[in-house]
Amino acid sequence: MSDTACVIGKGIQIRGNLSGSGDLVVEGRLEGHVALEDHIIVEEGGTVVADIETRELTLNGKMSGNINANERVSISSSATVMGDIRAPRVVIEDGARFRGNIEMEVPLPDNI
Amino acid sequence: MANTVIGSSIIIDGEITGDEDLVVQGTVKGKIQLKESLYVEASGKVEADIETQNTEVSGEVTGNITASDKVELKTQCRVIGDIKAPRILIADGASFKGNVDMDV
Repeated sequence: MSDTACVIGKGIQIRGNLSGSGDLVVEGRLEGHVALEDHIIVEEGGTVVADIETRELTLNGKMSGNINANERVSISSSATVMGDIRAPRVVIEDGARFRGNIEMEVPLPDNI
Repeated sequence: MANTVIGSSIIIDGEITGDEDLVVQGTVKGKIQLKESLYVEASGKVEADIETQNTEVSGEVTGNITASDKVELKTQCRVIGDIKAPRILIADGASFKGNVDMDV
């Protein structure tokens, strides 16, 4: 992990806007709006109630809100996610719980 | 090293609460309320009212600091605001403007 990484520990709650660059790991609670240029990881036990704009998002915990990623969203088996996802690559593992829309922006061929 | 670190490239505008140590290397605006210690490192900038048990400032703080135990202003820090705590330490080289209340 790079030294600019931001970790929100289990006992910490943040409410408001979070922006900048660098990776973010959420083990605690985050509410509001998040705009980051790098990778966000919501760990198991972490809770995010926010609209997220990022490059890459990995979800192992609970998340509610809309996601806009310009690379990849990965929802692992321990995650519970509610909200709409917009990303070129979306991975949902077996066991994950998800409710919402997914838009992958895949260019479909004209003859469908 | 504390569990929670706000990295140097991160900007938070809002409220941080919790019951564990927090290290700020980036920018925090708003309010910080902790049951443990806050460390504002040399690269950290805080524009917030702070309520903690211990606060240690090596960077910049604008806002009032209230601590239930101790506030320490390290050398090279810049602090503007009022400080209220039973124990307050100001190191040589620190810049500080504000009121000090040790509750004597």
